[in-house]
Amino acid sequence: MLINLLRTHRWIRVSLSGLSVALLLGGLGLVGYPFFTNVWQGRIQAQLDDQLVSPELQQAYKEGKIETGDSLTRIRIPAIDVDVVVVEGITPSALRAGAGHYPNTALPCDGGNVAIAGHRTTYGRPFGNLDQLKTGDKIDLITPIGACQYEVTKAPFAIAPDELGVIAPSTDKMLTLTTCHPKGSAAQRLVVQGKWVSALTA
Amino acid sequence: MSMFRRTGAIALSALVVGAFLVVPSPASAQTVQTRAESFIATANARALALDVLGIKVTVGASGIEMTSTPAAKATGGGVLLVPGTVSTVETTGPSQALAPPKACVLNLPIANLLSVALACGEAKVDSTPGAPQAFGSGSVAAIDVGGQQILALLSPVLDALTPLLDQVIGTVTGALNPLLGGLLPGLVTQLGLDPNTGLVSSLVDGLKKATNLATIKLGNSTSQGLSETGKISAIATAQGGQIDVLPGLALGGAPLLSIVVGSAKATSVFDRAGGTSTPGFDAAILTVKLGLPILGNITEIPVKLGSPITLLAGTPLESTIALGAGTTTKNPDGSVSSVADGVSIHLLKGISGGIKLELAHAESGIGGQSQLVEQQKLVEPVAQLAKTGNDPWVPMVGFALLLAAFTTRRLVVARPSGKRNPADN
Repeated sequence: MLINLLRTHRWIRVSLSGLSVALLLGGLGLVGYPFFTNVWQGRIQAQLDDQLVSPELQQAYKEGKIETGDSLTRIRIPAIDVDVVVVEGITPSALRAGAGHYPNTALPCDGGNVAIAGHRTTYGRPFGNLDQLKTGDKIDLITPIGACQYEVTKAPFAIAPDELGVIAPSTDKMLTLTTCHPKGSAAQRLVVQGKWVSALTA
Repeated sequence: MSMFRRTGAIALSALVVGAFLVVPSPASAQTVQTRAESFIATANARALALDVLGIKVTVGASGIEMTSTPAAKATGGGVLLVPGTVSTVETTGPSQALAPPKACVLNLPIANLLSVALACGEAKVDSTPGAPQAFGSGSVAAIDVGGQQILALLSPVLDALTPLLDQVIGTVTGALNPLLGGLLPGLVTQLGLDPNTGLVSSLVDGLKKATNLATIKLGNSTSQGLSETGKISAIATAQGGQIDVLPGLALGGAPLLSIVVGSAKATSVFDRAGGTSTPGFDAAILTVKLGLPILGNITEIPVKLGSPITLLAGTPLESTIALGAGTTTKNPDGSVSSVADGVSIHLLKGISGGIKLELAHAESGIGGQSQLVEQQKLVEPVAQLAKTGNDPWVPMVGFALLLAAFTTRRLVVARPSGKRNPADN
């Protein structure tokens, strides 16, 4: 019956044909979303690499005037093969760079709790394997004006998204990394914490 | 038709991809400027600075410097440059509390001119983060300024000058009379001097009979840096003292002249919340007393601020007593300083520079910036930890759309039921 209706009305067939193409492209777009974000993040990182070593950013960093979305520090985690530039801020647009610094927390290598969020499944998924970190693993932060090393002191643990205590100010020098958990979901957050070890020479 | 499909496909592709890549950025590009509290506080106090014929001695000195680093250092000296009477201490890192024992020396002779009964220095520091403290104190019990030694140096000069001075003493007496009134004849008698000789000659003779030129009793000088919840203070205090000139010269054991100096205090305070600094001072109060038993009581000579008194003006024996003022300064960068002066006495100006005494000098300074907390509030508070993962429905919807596309396409190309394709024959 329906097939006959389609045969007798050409405009319906044309409409359905167009709809099928739209659905196909929409479906491909959504399925390919992670791929698109990875490509996009790669382009952003290339720009941030250059910005991180620029004299202008060094000056802005010294004056505490890093804008949201600008390069803030490089994070290296050899244990899970992470080497990306972290931007200032955790807005959705800032986090397209892959990883962003919580603006209310201490600056990298400064006193207090330095908190950084990173994508787990998209935008280069820098923290895709954060759950594989172990106590004692080293994490390096390289800022425009210096570098320092932290050491994982607390194995990865999952918490609710509104448990903000992990990024609260601290009198100790420490580092907190957060990402979404489980993979492909934003239901929880995976947290890794480390303590300051030492400053690094260039 | 195929051209239409291809064009439609390209347009839709652009729309879908563009939707992911050209999403406008949320407006949250606020600059976050955080700033830790910073300050520096200094205070210095000096009970007495003495310059005797070019030999300079600082007695009862203290000083502190304190910063938000946190770091603190303090010095307290009974007699500066005499190591046993000076205590100095400085922190080398945070969370240190250092308090070395007092440094004291008994019966300390200095350059054959002075004798200090007991000189002590004390210093303490604490570099607790956010609440550093520093304290320095210098004290001496009593100082005798040896008259004979000094007069031995002065005698050749005085002997040469005395006849000349007596020739012009009429003028000098005229200058003295408004101050001392009719006391001079009594003074000469009281001192047991020969009234037939000139005034200057008489005084010099009196000086030659003295055992000590002066006895100085001093209060402590203290310098403090204090950290409290709402403020940081730099406080310098010189407690003043008493100078007895020619002690025991007059009958009854009274000194010829007694100069009593009150305490001088300079304070600079930094408001930790507001980031502003305020200077203040309490200048010393001066009392000059002429203690002659013949008068039946002690005569007080007024010395007003800005109006120093000068004795024997115009002669090499000219001597001046000046009451110090206080000043406060505010700098463009917000830092402040304050100075409280005590008393400046310059005796025998015309002879080898004479003897200079500066009592009760205190100065302090402070400057800083409060912690920038207001601007931190401008940053939107984080309601939850950053969302850095997919919504799980995204890929599922994608697959559903692909399935729907496939089904729709099948509907379009499907043949009506009961009819066969001619190609099947």
